[in-house]
Amino acid sequence: MLVGLNFTLGGTHEMVQRLVDEGHLDYCELLIDNFLQVPPDDLARHFKCPIGFHVMFSKYLESDLDFLQDLAKRLRVLIDALRPLYVSDHMAYFTHRGRRLYHLGEIDYDADYDWVRRKVDIWQDLLGQKLFIENYPSIMDGGWEAPAFFERLTRDTGAGVLFDASNAVCAFRNCGAPLELWDNVIASTPHFHIAGYNRTIIEPHFTVDSHDGDLAQDTLAFLKRRRSLFDKPGATITYERDHNIDYDAIVADLARLRAVFSCSKEEIHAPHVAVGAC
Amino acid sequence: MHLTSPSEPARIVDKELFDWLTDLRPQTQIPRQSRAFVRIDVCHRAYWHALFDICPQLLKIAAPDGLAILRPFMTWAETQNLTFDWSFYLWVYEWLKQSEFQDRIDNDLLITMMGASAARWGNYDRTPACGLVLASAEASEIVVAWKCRTASGRREIEIIDLEEPLPPPEESFGFFTLPSFELAPFPGWRNIPR
Repeated sequence: MLVGLNFTLGGTHEMVQRLVDEGHLDYCELLIDNFLQVPPDDLARHFKCPIGFHVMFSKYLESDLDFLQDLAKRLRVLIDALRPLYVSDHMAYFTHRGRRLYHLGEIDYDADYDWVRRKVDIWQDLLGQKLFIENYPSIMDGGWEAPAFFERLTRDTGAGVLFDASNAVCAFRNCGAPLELWDNVIASTPHFHIAGYNRTIIEPHFTVDSHDGDLAQDTLAFLKRRRSLFDKPGATITYERDHNIDYDAIVADLARLRAVFSCSKEEIHAPHVAVGAC
Repeated sequence: MHLTSPSEPARIVDKELFDWLTDLRPQTQIPRQSRAFVRIDVCHRAYWHALFDICPQLLKIAAPDGLAILRPFMTWAETQNLTFDWSFYLWVYEWLKQSEFQDRIDNDLLITMMGASAARWGNYDRTPACGLVLASAEASEIVVAWKCRTASGRREIEIIDLEEPLPPPEESFGFFTLPSFELAPFPGWRNIPR
């Protein structure tokens, strides 16, 4: 399991470089549409490690075709130049009745399936490669339908899931949908996200995907229970931290992730190494 | 529509709540102790933070929590069919000008709101444009936003007092975009998006 960090924009650049230099990161995930105006060779020069691409604001479910064609054309220049480990995007509403939702909305997995599938087909085709789509941190009861939705969507479109483990934990804590519902999805994909969560400000408290603190014990326990499903050749897990940025705390969380998947590369994927290497 | 409460464990999907996500009027249809109520509050707080984290001086105008601004603005915004795109802060300023707070606004607040909107453009616009120039009919300064241009960089905001001022926009605000990371000849002002 390769361990990476999500990099959104310049403010944490030096910290990310230090994490790479000190061996805490195997790769870096770029929120790539923040860097569309950056020359590809500049990105390649700055990141001396493998990179993944995470698209945030394509809004491919709601954007018109002209916009998506133009955006995909510019993304493909970066994809061709930088050969990312994967390209991923989101599954969410960014607007409602033409108005921007500053907290993204969850799709209706049953009612929206047909048109969402068409949009995923279009966006994946425009990008010219397999698209990995991130699951939403359900607060409401869509969390029950999400796993089957993603199984069906990946079967019908050839897309993959960027499975966010902590988003699934949020959904479990909020609506009770068992984490085991995700087993097939986890087994089917090599790319994962993980982050800290927090509770809502007002009571009764629910759980929100906040990226503002350390990994929760139940999130780590989920990884440990399903380690054999998560870990596979070429697997990646990206740690996200957008607030309360603290170098030592991030290093500690990255170490916790490595501890969950320790030795797995040797045990599972490289049988030619010395027995007992771990 | 089925509403939920502790005694009514009906399943509700997020989309059923969307009409309330931008409606900050006092909630009368969703039970206070329900998950739906809390979920709506999560979204309302996102607008609150977008406005007051970026423009904290507004909290001095509408102490202590700013809701005297945010709630009526959001209601007005619905009547105006605003989209809450990058021009969000400029429309808040427009609303303030015709509100009970109109005597509390000044040039500093205007420039702050222009800077906030320009920064939002720099963060969220995904067109090929590299920069944006924003002007107000009430201010001599222009605000320029630049998207991130290097891997280690970030978006930048400049406030510029031109030696040879551009003509003022006909509406309260005007903008144009820049196809490269250089100031281009003035192409005329466009009206800000709703």
